Amino acid sequence: MTRWLLPAAVLAVLIALPHGLKSYGIYLLSLWAVYAMAAMGLNLTLGYAGQVSLAQAAFLGIGAYVSALLTVNGVSFWLALPLAGLVCFAVGILLGFPALRVQHHYLAFVTLGFNALVFLVLRNEEWLTGGTYGVEGIPRPSLLGLPTQSPIGFYYLSLGFLVVLSFALYALLRSPWGRAFAALRENPTRAESLGVDIRAYTLLAFAIGSGVGGLAGAFYAPLVEFIDPTPFDLGTSLALLLMVVVGGSGYFAGPFLGAALVMLLPEWLRFSESLYLLLYALLVMVLMATCPSGLLGLWAQARERLSRRRPPPPVLETRT
Amino acid sequence: MQIRKMLALAALAVFGLTNSAGAADAVKIANVIELSGGGATVGTNWRDAVELAAKQINEKGGILGRQIEVTHYDTQSNPGISKAQVTKALDGEPYVILGPIYSSSTKVNMVEAQRAGVPQIVGSEAAEITKKGNPTLFRTSFGQDASMPKIANYIRDGVKAKSVAVIWVNNAFGKGGRDTVVKELEARGIKVAVDISTEVQQVDFAAEVAQAKNSGADLLFPYLHEEESARLLRELKKQGFDKPIVGETTITNAKVIQLAGDAANGVRAHVGLSPDAPSPLIKKMVQDFEAAYGRKPDHNGLKGYIAVHMVKAVTEKMGKFDQQNFAKTLHGMTITTKDEPGVLMDVTFDDKGDPDRESFLVEVVDGKEKITTVLPPLGR
Repeated sequence: MTRWLLPAAVLAVLIALPHGLKSYGIYLLSLWAVYAMAAMGLNLTLGYAGQVSLAQAAFLGIGAYVSALLTVNGVSFWLALPLAGLVCFAVGILLGFPALRVQHHYLAFVTLGFNALVFLVLRNEEWLTGGTYGVEGIPRPSLLGLPTQSPIGFYYLSLGFLVVLSFALYALLRSPWGRAFAALRENPTRAESLGVDIRAYTLLAFAIGSGVGGLAGAFYAPLVEFIDPTPFDLGTSLALLLMVVVGGSGYFAGPFLGAALVMLLPEWLRFSESLYLLLYALLVMVLMATCPSGLLGLWAQARERLSRRRPPPPVLETRT
Repeated sequence: MQIRKMLALAALAVFGLTNSAGAADAVKIANVIELSGGGATVGTNWRDAVELAAKQINEKGGILGRQIEVTHYDTQSNPGISKAQVTKALDGEPYVILGPIYSSSTKVNMVEAQRAGVPQIVGSEAAEITKKGNPTLFRTSFGQDASMPKIANYIRDGVKAKSVAVIWVNNAFGKGGRDTVVKELEARGIKVAVDISTEVQQVDFAAEVAQAKNSGADLLFPYLHEEESARLLRELKKQGFDKPIVGETTITNAKVIQLAGDAANGVRAHVGLSPDAPSPLIKKMVQDFEAAYGRKPDHNGLKGYIAVHMVKAVTEKMGKFDQQNFAKTLHGMTITTKDEPGVLMDVTFDDKGDPDRESFLVEVVDGKEKITTVLPPLGR
């Protein structure tokens, strides 16, 4: 029971937080919620199934365009949302099927290529996506008759969905599927000898991760109310990768922390005026050099040292 | 007793007055602009000129007796971040928002300022920006709708070219310019021999230049951002491209000339605003800028400088700080340099927020922009 205390406290803070903030702060929090969703998807692919994907921004983009194009044409957001997830899931399978024959940095290159391809399609297929002119006037949804036009309304909507998604992924990771994903990452050979179909499970993890990216995209579009291809380029994929790695890849809470750090740190550093991006880059480099397992890895190490025990051998278990 | 009372009252009055004058205070202007990323060159020019204008106005007593206080917000040349920064700027309840310059950023964030009813003066040139019926948006320089017809006329009558190679950057700015110029060229019976799209921050232009060269076009029309323009010009020189190069504003920007070196010589362009314009007011502004920052401003500097003086001119015309009526007053307003020298050239704003004023045809000679022709206002 006690392990739910911390998440509940964090959620309480997240619910209370916007009341002390102006619209800018609330906008950043909403953006954090959206990026945290996308990073959670990537965490599944990278942190649990061990596959380096540089295409998460592409899935975010596909999700955003599916949701934007449908809602602009009068389709309900609540129909567009699952469709965005499903389309990305399907594209994830189509991409993953050939791409997952290779692993690690080779897979990174394949997914990088895919991201560039999606960016070009979004930009050049003007008849569908509006090209560089983008899609504008994306309506915000209403939930049970409650509109989300106000910044705070939309923030609660995104936060609510983030919570639902977190529960769903948590359940998934504690299911036999989740165990199989972790087994793939820790020792594929042993996993295969135990009867886990490596290819099928890797593909599944990749596709679910992509689908979650699509769901995040479906929220991105109504949040910004305008989309063009720029926010879905390789830079965003790298930023999402950074969120997962900085937070602690393979830790359930990693993406939340990573997204908060990557999104908010540059804002906090703005006091240093023209130096803020430099400071930001420097801090990220120091962090990665001193704790390659991310912030939660650092926390775990500190706890182990405090309890003065030798680190336990890797176990096939969901790290929470 | 009486005297003491009067003294106390007088003291109170003086204290009250100075207090209210001190805290009442500066006029807040939010400057949301590209200070890092691909647009850092243009944004820095704009920011420095805004600072300069604010300092000069403040030294002369401010606007209607109130000092100007400018806060800068860096968009990182990223549309998403620009939206966040405009939201942040609006939280500070500014009187006016200045910037950004990148059209893709303006498109994303102008909705926020419109919703808040805060006037916004941008440096963007994409044609579509003032076509969206935003009642509080103004720009300081020509939109593509105003500049491209002038270019197309020059290409037909001045250069007498029959076919043109167009190289453009594929974003809101470049695509908007490309679509407008192609429409204007075709309307004048000029053929587009080859239509080449390039990327933001592209480094190598070898293939594009080869393509333009092989197309057999009589003329090259480049429409890129500053740094990419310089790289393109260097590649054109390297491959010995010998046809006229005629562009719009950015291609003869001071930064481009500096970066491209020799390769910029002979390039011609239509410019809405030029630091080399034969105007004593512009010369004075350029001198002041050089004295303050040790370098020459580009046209983006002029745009920023004008923006602050537009705020001054409109507010003084209204006689008070009336945010509600700011846009209404500026629509259809003519600001002459006699009334407000800081606008640098006489200018009239139409009901969509587009300016109309004289413009120039220029040519780069020995690494310097030289004005060849002064074109009259469109008078639409």
